Amino acid sequence: MIKKNNWKGWLYLAPIIILMAVFTFYPLISTFSIAFMKDYDYIKQTSAGFTFDNFAIVLGLAPTNPEAPVELQGYVTDVVRYAIPNTAIITFVTVPLSIIIALAIAVGLNSIPKFQKIFQTIFFIPYVTNSIAVGMVFAVLFDYNGIVNFLLGTMGREYAWIDLGAPTWKAMIALCIYIIWSSLPFKILIFLSGLAGIDKQYYDAAKIDSAGKFKTLMHVTVPLLSPQILYVMITSFIGAFKEYDSVVGLLGKPGTDATKNMYTVVYYIYDTISQNNVHYGSAAAVLLFVVILAFTGIQFWVSKKRVHY
Amino acid sequence: MEIRLKHLTKIFPGNPKKNIPDTHAVEDLNLTIPDGKLYALLGPSGCGKSTTLNMIAGLSEPSSGEIWFGDEDVTDLSPEKRGIGLVFQNYALYPHMTVYKNVAFPLTNLRVEEKVKDANGNDVLDEEGKPLVKKRKLTKIEIDKLVRETSKIVQIEEYLWRKPSQLSGGQQQRVAIARALVKHPRVLLLDEPLSNLDARLRLQTREEIRRIQKSTGITTIFVTHDQEEAMSISDEIVVMKLGVEQQAGIPQEVYNEPANRFVANFLGTPPINFFHGEIRGNKIYIGDAMVKEITDKTLPDQKVTVGIRPEGIVPSEKGVLPFHIDQIITQGRDIIIQGDHPLETRPCKFVVDAFTDVKVGDIHCEVKPHKCFAFSLEGNEERIA
Repeated sequence: MIKKNNWKGWLYLAPIIILMAVFTFYPLISTFSIAFMKDYDYIKQTSAGFTFDNFAIVLGLAPTNPEAPVELQGYVTDVVRYAIPNTAIITFVTVPLSIIIALAIAVGLNSIPKFQKIFQTIFFIPYVTNSIAVGMVFAVLFDYNGIVNFLLGTMGREYAWIDLGAPTWKAMIALCIYIIWSSLPFKILIFLSGLAGIDKQYYDAAKIDSAGKFKTLMHVTVPLLSPQILYVMITSFIGAFKEYDSVVGLLGKPGTDATKNMYTVVYYIYDTISQNNVHYGSAAAVLLFVVILAFTGIQFWVSKKRVHY
Repeated sequence: MEIRLKHLTKIFPGNPKKNIPDTHAVEDLNLTIPDGKLYALLGPSGCGKSTTLNMIAGLSEPSSGEIWFGDEDVTDLSPEKRGIGLVFQNYALYPHMTVYKNVAFPLTNLRVEEKVKDANGNDVLDEEGKPLVKKRKLTKIEIDKLVRETSKIVQIEEYLWRKPSQLSGGQQQRVAIARALVKHPRVLLLDEPLSNLDARLRLQTREEIRRIQKSTGITTIFVTHDQEEAMSISDEIVVMKLGVEQQAGIPQEVYNEPANRFVANFLGTPPINFFHGEIRGNKIYIGDAMVKEITDKTLPDQKVTVGIRPEGIVPSEKGVLPFHIDQIITQGRDIIIQGDHPLETRPCKFVVDAFTDVKVGDIHCEVKPHKCFAFSLEGNEERIA
């Protein structure tokens, strides 16, 4: 009975299946296979056979070009030297901070009786703004003669944040502020919808039980919001691991100069395309995938006891 | 703790621009709730009973009037300072906490005052010579003791380590009561405590509430729309309608002597039967049938609504009131006869003894005078006889 008309179901599904096959499944499988190909040339689509070396090279365990002198062995070691530490800093600084700030803003927005809708709209604006455009605005703010330095009273090239001559740590601060700012709206939105679903009686009960504001937040609001917090946490960790457009938006390509290097892992992956080193990029992408998968798995495992649906 | 409500009024403002009038949820309510009694606020939905409870709890601010707990005016006191325990309609148990933590939660916020002692166990005095008092949190041991004591009263000791979602409705209800009682409040407030339970559990739980109230002796106010529930367990009830008190008193007295047609109609299942009737020569008539003689006062002749309680008739050949039976509903203990009378306001239901010999068709009945009332057609339809 069911088998008879099966083709109809497939027909209805065809548009999305074709789209996903072309733009999702094929690239996915290609990435995995290219990661194991030696000297893959994506223009000629040729390779010199199967290898595990790509992973070793990306992680700096093997030289790109064993014959050349060490300093000329290319940017691949930048992954270890810059991309991995930078990505780690971005991830472990921006994700917790942005979640805490978004939670505070959402709880605040939820408790103001007037102009709530207007403020919600204002806080949502960064979400609908192009990240490159926002990056340019931040570049102006953090210019060595920009507003930030003006407010700090430290105008001048020697106090640069993101321009040539700025140290990596200063550029990193600017980058993190930018990333946090632009990631807030989505999180606030999720938290606000979660807060709207919490029965008001819990707060009345907490009030009668003479729990203070902070205690109510920590013992009532946060636990009842834990599904949303987990969701936001997992999606933001994934997003932060893949941070790329913010670097381009704020620092411009390549985000690297004599004094600083703002390479991230995904930045490196994109960079390999122009160098016709897609096999290294694919290997890095697979590694990143494994890390994200493991990290998400750990979060789910930890959250089992802490999240209350 | 005696609770007195003085001219308590709550008005929810409307919107004059959109022509929405103000809502008078509670209007000039004056009540005295005696110490240590179980008191029911009874009325249909929208009568202001929950609003009244919220005002007593401090969750809702009265528009005017006063609330007194004993000798203390608590009108402007915030809820946590009133010393109340509140059981919410859907319990509002924290789903992420175990039963134990739920019950202990109010205690973790509690501060007790304690006299400061010196090394010899004597009171330390302050500059004015009064004993120095220090506020402190309860210790874990004290909390544990209180939680276990209270759990014993409401019989939830077995479930202390479960989450609320692992409990039945009745068990959750008891946990909610334990959470309200654990800090030894001055007043226990229950908002529709039984409405989320099934019929059997409701019967059982209301006995339970009665037992807990008796054993703790705490002044308890509970809100309900179920008259049977209110009548069966409360010491006193107040019936409300559209924010206005209709009648307050001991349940049986309110039932026996309803102040007006609304109260008479609201109390009793099946509900009272109403007929178009009149008073002639100090006698109450339904059509030509004289159903009651008024002996204690003299009333002018007038049209009235006559109410007869369902248990107020006895089928009898000599009876004065003709009645046509449509249907006989056997209940085991007794029989409900359903039918019509030409002057009824709605189909009548009467309850008669199970051994009564009745058949579908026309009968005559006698009317028990103390089950028969006359209500004025004017104003609030007060009972006049």
